[in-house]
Amino acid sequence: MSDGEIVIREGPVDEEDENIETISLNPHAQVCLQQLLRVWLGFERDLSTVPLIRRIDLGTYTVDDHLCFLRNLRQQVIEGSRWIARTASSFDSEYSEIRSRIIQHAMDEHKDYELIEKDYIASGGDLEDIQGMSKNVGSEALHGFLMYRSSRPNPIDLLGAMWIIEGLGEKMASSWAERIQELTGLGEDSTRFMAYHGHNDEDHMQLFYEMLEVVCISQKSVDIIVKTAKVVARLYRLQLEEIEYEIK
Amino acid sequence: MPVYITSTGCFLPGPPINSEQVENILGAVNGRASFLRVQIQKANKIKTRHYAIDENQQTTHSNVEMATNAAEQCLDRAFISREQIGMLAVASTQGDYPAPGMASMVQAELELPSIEIISTHGICSSSTMALKAAWNSLRLKEHDAALVVSSELASRMLKKQRYEAATESTFAEKKIDFNTEFLRWMLSDGAGALLLQNKPSPKGLSLRIDWMKGYSHAHAFPTCMSVGSSGKIGETKTWQDYDSYAEAERQGALLLRQDVRLLDNIVRMGVDGYLRLVEEGINKPSEVDHFLCHYSSHHFKNKILEMLEAAGVAIPQERWWTNLYTRGNTGAASMFIMIDEFMRSSDVQVKEGDRILCFVPESGRFNTTYFHLTVVSA
Repeated sequence: MSDGEIVIREGPVDEEDENIETISLNPHAQVCLQQLLRVWLGFERDLSTVPLIRRIDLGTYTVDDHLCFLRNLRQQVIEGSRWIARTASSFDSEYSEIRSRIIQHAMDEHKDYELIEKDYIASGGDLEDIQGMSKNVGSEALHGFLMYRSSRPNPIDLLGAMWIIEGLGEKMASSWAERIQELTGLGEDSTRFMAYHGHNDEDHMQLFYEMLEVVCISQKSVDIIVKTAKVVARLYRLQLEEIEYEIK
Repeated sequence: MPVYITSTGCFLPGPPINSEQVENILGAVNGRASFLRVQIQKANKIKTRHYAIDENQQTTHSNVEMATNAAEQCLDRAFISREQIGMLAVASTQGDYPAPGMASMVQAELELPSIEIISTHGICSSSTMALKAAWNSLRLKEHDAALVVSSELASRMLKKQRYEAATESTFAEKKIDFNTEFLRWMLSDGAGALLLQNKPSPKGLSLRIDWMKGYSHAHAFPTCMSVGSSGKIGETKTWQDYDSYAEAERQGALLLRQDVRLLDNIVRMGVDGYLRLVEEGINKPSEVDHFLCHYSSHHFKNKILEMLEAAGVAIPQERWWTNLYTRGNTGAASMFIMIDEFMRSSDVQVKEGDRILCFVPESGRFNTTYFHLTVVSA
């Protein structure tokens, strides 16, 4: 037998000895996580209908597509650290632990756009072009919504926004970065921003669960977190759909 | 009107074939052993499977014969005469004839007179479609009993001659063409049958069908598993658009292909449908005693399963049951073959009141189907 080391038995499936850490969430946080998973899975599925992303799936994505993608992405990333910082400042002392985590997160990411600029140059683009780009219609809507929500007191619903945006960062790293290199013939230096976001993913999930456990303690909190995740998912997709208008 | 599965049957052609012997049956393409066989077999963990072709790639059982054999076994075990059957539903990825529908051919073999028939077409989930059509017919009191059969003869598409003839395909061009070879070491042959009635069997255990749901996501995703396209980037022709079938075959448009890169989406959509059913209060994971899944559990050994656990809706591993590793992945037939053996197996004590969740995902263009059974006695 070629697969001699694999023990398979008839009947109940083989349980592999993986160390899945048990996370104990309160019942509201559990329901919230179930719904956030669905929002994410629907978002991810619908991304496949966005023409630019479809070309990654179908294998027809080009260098021009990549330059266009990066030009549009940069604006959102610059604005990203702003709403995260605003979110931190809107939490009062009751949430001081959450506040420090979010400040740290804003610190970590607030200069990420420089990485995109470097990727853009490595992909054959001019720095002036990407720096001179203004926000597309979708980025305007997304940023406007995030700044509005993050300016409200104790904006716990922004956890829903982080869920979508962090999830996408992970997807860029695991599904898009290498595929884009393969399709375009560009080097690793063209997708450093995308690849970078796959790091420390396990830690991010753990942190997310911990925050969810603290803030999601009622049906009302479930509802606002999920609602914000839905709005962010829709506006993020709009932002990616709007890239096509630049191509045309 | 409650509907029950009152009898089951299955047919697996020939002896069990272990992983090392598979290439002897399907044949080494151009006399060269595959670079990918061991790797793909290790990943799918299937230990033995069956083929309806022999070592010379000659067909030993037609698809209709296999379907008929499974149906005969199911009827032999039933407590009703075959005259009481009002409907025959048959599912397969590819019947012996492209036309007419396979149900016509199976009906003829079974000599079931003047019944209603339905042939469902698709891949793995076509069996759920056939089951649902029959279930609905009984619920509407159109019939008192219906026979549902699913049979697959994939090996005819996977034999070496198919690949040798594809001289201008991606398979011929590339040194390693994972997408074209993937299913060659994954799929095998077999058939399963279920008898549906409007009352439980007078003896032994029956399975009440509580609900059946399906969610297809073809609107969003490209095709993932298919026959009919050359698989070359930008190619829009399908097999009948070529001047001759020989040309379609040369271009690789008749090879079974899986876009492996898209495959994860079926796990994701499977979880989405599962959570949707939780949200709608239909699926109650904590009440499920047995989970029969057409996918092997190790495909779910990823972050999504961890998240389901964190979200409090995972089904513990000890409640999962499969015979995929010993009977092979027989596509549409798998779930019926699984239900048949599950009800007869001595290693699980199935008892009255047990609740069974069945999940059949289809990667073709991302269809996910679910149904729920409760064990009842007369």
